[in-house]
Amino acid sequence: MSSGIQQIHDVGAKALGWLYEHREGFRLEADPSPDAGMLDRFKPLGELALIGKVIFREGVAGSQQSSLAHKLLDHAWHELLDSGARLLEGQRREPLSPVPLEVYVPFRELGYRQPDLESAIRLNHRLASWAALEVLPVRRLGLSAIERRFGVEPSVPETAALAHTWLARRPEPWTVEGHIGYDITHTVFHLTDWGEKPAGLPADIAEYLALWLPVWLDDWLDLKRWDLLGELLVVDACLPEPTLDPAAWAGFAQAQEPDGAMPVVGGMPEGNEESVFDLVYHPTLVAAFASALAMSRALSDLSASPAPA
Amino acid sequence: MDQKHASSPLAGAVHDLATEVVLALRSGDHLATVCGAAGIDEENRTGIAAVRVIGADLLLPSVLYGRHPHPGDVAVLDRAVREFPPKPDAPAATAWSHWHMISTLQRMAPPAPGATAPGTYAEPDAAWLEEAPWQAFTHQLSVLAPLAVPAAPSAVQRAAANRAVDLSRGFVRAVRRRDWLQAAGAGRWLAATGGEPATLGLDRGLDFVELMGGHDPRVTLHVRAARLMAEARAR
Repeated sequence: MSSGIQQIHDVGAKALGWLYEHREGFRLEADPSPDAGMLDRFKPLGELALIGKVIFREGVAGSQQSSLAHKLLDHAWHELLDSGARLLEGQRREPLSPVPLEVYVPFRELGYRQPDLESAIRLNHRLASWAALEVLPVRRLGLSAIERRFGVEPSVPETAALAHTWLARRPEPWTVEGHIGYDITHTVFHLTDWGEKPAGLPADIAEYLALWLPVWLDDWLDLKRWDLLGELLVVDACLPEPTLDPAAWAGFAQAQEPDGAMPVVGGMPEGNEESVFDLVYHPTLVAAFASALAMSRALSDLSASPAPA
Repeated sequence: MDQKHASSPLAGAVHDLATEVVLALRSGDHLATVCGAAGIDEENRTGIAAVRVIGADLLLPSVLYGRHPHPGDVAVLDRAVREFPPKPDAPAATAWSHWHMISTLQRMAPPAPGATAPGTYAEPDAAWLEEAPWQAFTHQLSVLAPLAVPAAPSAVQRAAANRAVDLSRGFVRAVRRRDWLQAAGAGRWLAATGGEPATLGLDRGLDFVELMGGHDPRVTLHVRAARLMAEARAR
């Protein structure tokens, strides 16, 4: 097995290869269960878009990976979202849902457009009901960030939205459990535009994370909870001085299947291809994401340091 | 001997001793002997072995309240030092514990003129501690929590003071793993040496550790010691 930067690179290359091979798994179910919101089915595509865009843009992933990421996004936009028509259809069915906007923005930033959806989004943005929507604080922060990225004024200013999150209060680090862990990682994702702008992390939060992230990495490595560990590795790559924690990366790499799939927790789940995809696509996407960001930081630090005499 | 919580006579004796130390720390007084209250005298082999486990914390109430220790406790600690010298290949933590028992006896109860001291024992090496990863560092420090007392300088204490952030991380790790004894020991070190990041929330953390793990009197002992030292530092 490789080590160091090579190991980090290989995790990402294998994960992206798996995602591309299994791209048919990103599908909109024909008849979702009635209790699941229709737009919940778009969530995997939203994550694919947000993360795929970062991988595509972080050229360090290598031209091969950049091209795979682009092909995946193309597939998602044209084949799965019918060039945005499915998002518009979802918006018509649940007019006040923010999901179409969240899924749309990363595609829009890459040049994919759906003008009718934009009209609906702009109308929504004028509604008092839209700003009043009751969501978790970390989600509210995400909505404010995505409004900014879309080009409208955030309904709740980002600093105000941030103030209500768990992370902004910098609480006792020993109280962190799985749910709080995901609140932490997503707060960091929203603050940094999913790793594109590490400087978006306020200094006090960066300092807090630099202190306690090593403990959480150690903990979730030990618990073999690869999905959350991967997200925490993304957070590490967003810090002013990433540690690229060798033990966490080595454990993460070892957990990856030879074909590139990353289990959620422990080993690979059993089941048919679709159910396995639904369980492992997220940690595998996160593995590609963490790798791309860590590679980018490692290489930019190399190029920033003075040349040896 | 209260063996409700004990899996062996030795564990029962350790439990009883720790309970008596906690009672003495709580009362702020040290009229009765810890060993006497736990039913241990110089002839009680299991009890002496238990004192070896508790170590210099046997005299902790006297150390923290600045009182003379009870002669009975001094005698039993002295006996434990003489009967259980570390073997040459003993783990470093055992050597440190032994060294600390001797130096505590010398500080708290110098031998009367003409009496024989338990002998000298060179301060063990601590370089291995300085190089240990924060996880192992905290684990070892926690085993050596009896050395976390005021006015008892040692290489271990210097290492603890130099690595407050690592020790704080170890405290978080121990709480997350529900290893209350390790958490209490790490918290005691931080209370003794200071320097922990404010966001650790050490005082609430110690309360939490006592709430969750206080059924073990060894946990309560460390938490009580930590509180007394933190109060003294705040004065």
